Amino acid sequence: MSLLDIRHVSKIYGELRALDDVSLKVEQGEWVAIMGPSGSGKSTMMNIIGCMDKPTKGEVILDGTDIARESSKRLTDIRRDKIGLIFQQFHMVNYLTAVENVMVSQYYHSMPDEAEALEALDRVGLRERARHLPSQLSGGEQQRVCVARALINHPEIILADEPTGNLDETNENIVLDLFRQLHNEGTTLIVVTHDPEVADAAQRTIVLEHGRLVREVINEHFGE
Amino acid sequence: MSKRRMFLRMITASLLRRRSRMLIALLSIAIGATILAGLVTVYVDVPRQMAAQFRSYGANMILMPAEGHSLTPAEAEAAEALIPADQLVGAAPYRYVYLNMVSRQQTFAAAGTDFEQVQRTSPYFKVEGAYPSSPRQVLIGKTVADTVGARLNGVMELTWFPPAEEEDPQADADTFEIRPGMTLSGQADGYGMSDEGSTKQPVYVVLTVGEDGTIASLTVDTSGETEAIGGRCGSEDFTAQFIGKPVGGDSRLMLGRDIDGISGATVTSTAVVQAVNHVVPVEEGAAPRIPRTINFTVAGILETGGEEDDYIYMSLDDMAAITGEPDTLDLVELSVSAAQENLERYTEAVTASGHATARLVKRVTKSETAVLGKLQALVFLVTLVTLVLTMVSVSTTMMAVVAERRKEIGLRKALGASDGAIRSEFLGEGLFLGALGGILGSVMGFVFAQVVSMNVFGSDIRFNFWLVPITVAVSMAVAALSCLLPVRRAVAIDPALVLKGE
Ligand SMILES: Nc1ncnc2c1ncn2[C@@H]1O[C@H](COP(=O)(O)OP(=O)(O)OP(=O)(O)O)[C@@H](O)[C@H]1O
Ligand SMILES: [Mg+2]
Repeated sequence: MSLLDIRHVSKIYGELRALDDVSLKVEQGEWVAIMGPSGSGKSTMMNIIGCMDKPTKGEVILDGTDIARESSKRLTDIRRDKIGLIFQQFHMVNYLTAVENVMVSQYYHSMPDEAEALEALDRVGLRERARHLPSQLSGGEQQRVCVARALINHPEIILADEPTGNLDETNENIVLDLFRQLHNEGTTLIVVTHDPEVADAAQRTIVLEHGRLVREVINEHFGE
Repeated sequence: MSKRRMFLRMITASLLRRRSRMLIALLSIAIGATILAGLVTVYVDVPRQMAAQFRSYGANMILMPAEGHSLTPAEAEAAEALIPADQLVGAAPYRYVYLNMVSRQQTFAAAGTDFEQVQRTSPYFKVEGAYPSSPRQVLIGKTVADTVGARLNGVMELTWFPPAEEEDPQADADTFEIRPGMTLSGQADGYGMSDEGSTKQPVYVVLTVGEDGTIASLTVDTSGETEAIGGRCGSEDFTAQFIGKPVGGDSRLMLGRDIDGISGATVTSTAVVQAVNHVVPVEEGAAPRIPRTINFTVAGILETGGEEDDYIYMSLDDMAAITGEPDTLDLVELSVSAAQENLERYTEAVTASGHATARLVKRVTKSETAVLGKLQALVFLVTLVTLVLTMVSVSTTMMAVVAERRKEIGLRKALGASDGAIRSEFLGEGLFLGALGGILGSVMGFVFAQVVSMNVFGSDIRFNFWLVPITVAVSMAVAALSCLLPVRRAVAIDPALVLKGE
């Protein structure tokens, strides 16, 4: 059974079909990139997979549960337990330090553990910046904190919406390297991107246009 | 790290690192708590103080001279001893005379008293400055101060003119015997010129008798007279004429024959001769009955709104120094803390003892109680309004805080925060602010109450420790209530908004 099975999902806002009869399967440990022009429904799909929104039609089976049918309270639980989120705007709580931001995620999930949070920051190369506030960090550093926060609870799926959209090449590579490590550890990755280079790092790329899944490309060179 | 510690860490970080916004909320709560604590303190403490004052509100018994006797300090003490000491709150003796401020041609009622006792029998006296504590100091009523323009620490020159001896037909018979070395004094009416025209003013003489039974020395006091006219009669040129002249018995001096008058001051000259012709012996050891002038320093100004404002108060010793009558009291005001029937018993006992005549006077407490009731109603109303205003203010601020933190709340939810977690974080911040504001308010409220009490009631206030937990609890409750609406807003925020690049 696939980890994620999206079946004929539509998201309709009035006249507009943000997602139009999309079906997609993602296996455990897979790394999938989602591309498509602006307004094609990428973020809408991420919201649905990330349990922050429900589809108008269709089923979304995540780890055996149809999240399209769950209450919002259950969705919060599922999101907390199974999903790690990384956003384009590196959203951090601006009055908490880097390590505290990572610990917030632990706090909602289970138990805050500063040592473990520092280890996660170490992993993204920011151990010595752990006590800095977001305003004292560069954009790339903030995004790396967000990566650390997303992986701290060992989620089954990491969802990243334009994770490198605002980063320079160096930071982009750091983040991609982190994704590679996570992939090697068996984490499932779904990454929305405009950047062909970022998409190239994935095993498979799907392309959305006007809310429809129009193409699917397998990366032959993956792992090289 | 435990969840609770992380919770506290997040809340304190939010409050400490986002100071400006939180300071506004904190300030609203602290001000609200200040007014609450302050008014409650006034509300609680003032009646307590007033009750203490009522207990001894003015005197409730007065002692007057017993029939046919004068009231001496010893008699007063004997009378007071008939009242149980633990029920006698205070006993203020009074000696009343009229004193003149010659330079201003003004007469004031003056009282000699014991200020320590006055503070017990009349605790409501409001004194600007201080009660006299050393000799030659006076406490003057507000009206007196305003009339003569007296200031604190200013000097007042006060003169006592002995009242004219009662007309005694026997006295004219001059039945005393002239002995060498004796002192005689006398008085007669002269005239003084004041702004209102000429007035009758007493002229005093004191003379001593020489070895040969004639006048050896003469002092004339004309302090009531206008300096340029009568004043000259006090001069050596004039008084020297009396030396060696006979005195007492049938001897009568005559102006023009025995003594040359001073031109332009004939009336006063005549008065001096008259006074010499009517001298009486001054009792052994007693000071002659002549005017005495003493310079006093104004230690305090008394304002009661009552007739006390028209008086000049000085110590009994100063009063004795000016009148030469240390053993005379006019009345003693007693404040006795006892039930009505006991008061009546004491009154009868004192009067029966013959030391003094005692009388009960009614205390005025009823209207004060009514005023107090109104004051408390007002305090209650103001407190209520303040609490509502605080709530509105805190609620508005917290609303703004929630709006400002929409993204953060969305993020927290995206990270898995349940509605309950968001709720408790915001309530937690609110309660923390409430507690802090409550503590601040308790302290500032005490200061506020102290200022109010000092200014309005002229009394110190006690710090009510039990008010601190109450203020903190009320502040926390108000803060929590104020946060209800903002928290509901926060909970309703959609986590999906963080993915939309807002
Ligand atoms: N809450 C909403 N109400 C109405 N329309 C919406 C809503 N959310 C998204 N849309 C519309 O749905 C379509 C898909 O939006 P989505 O955010 O998924 O695009 P996207 O592919 O992520 O674009 P971009 O690359 O610019 O981020 C857009 O046309 C958008 O305007
Ligand atoms: Mg998008």
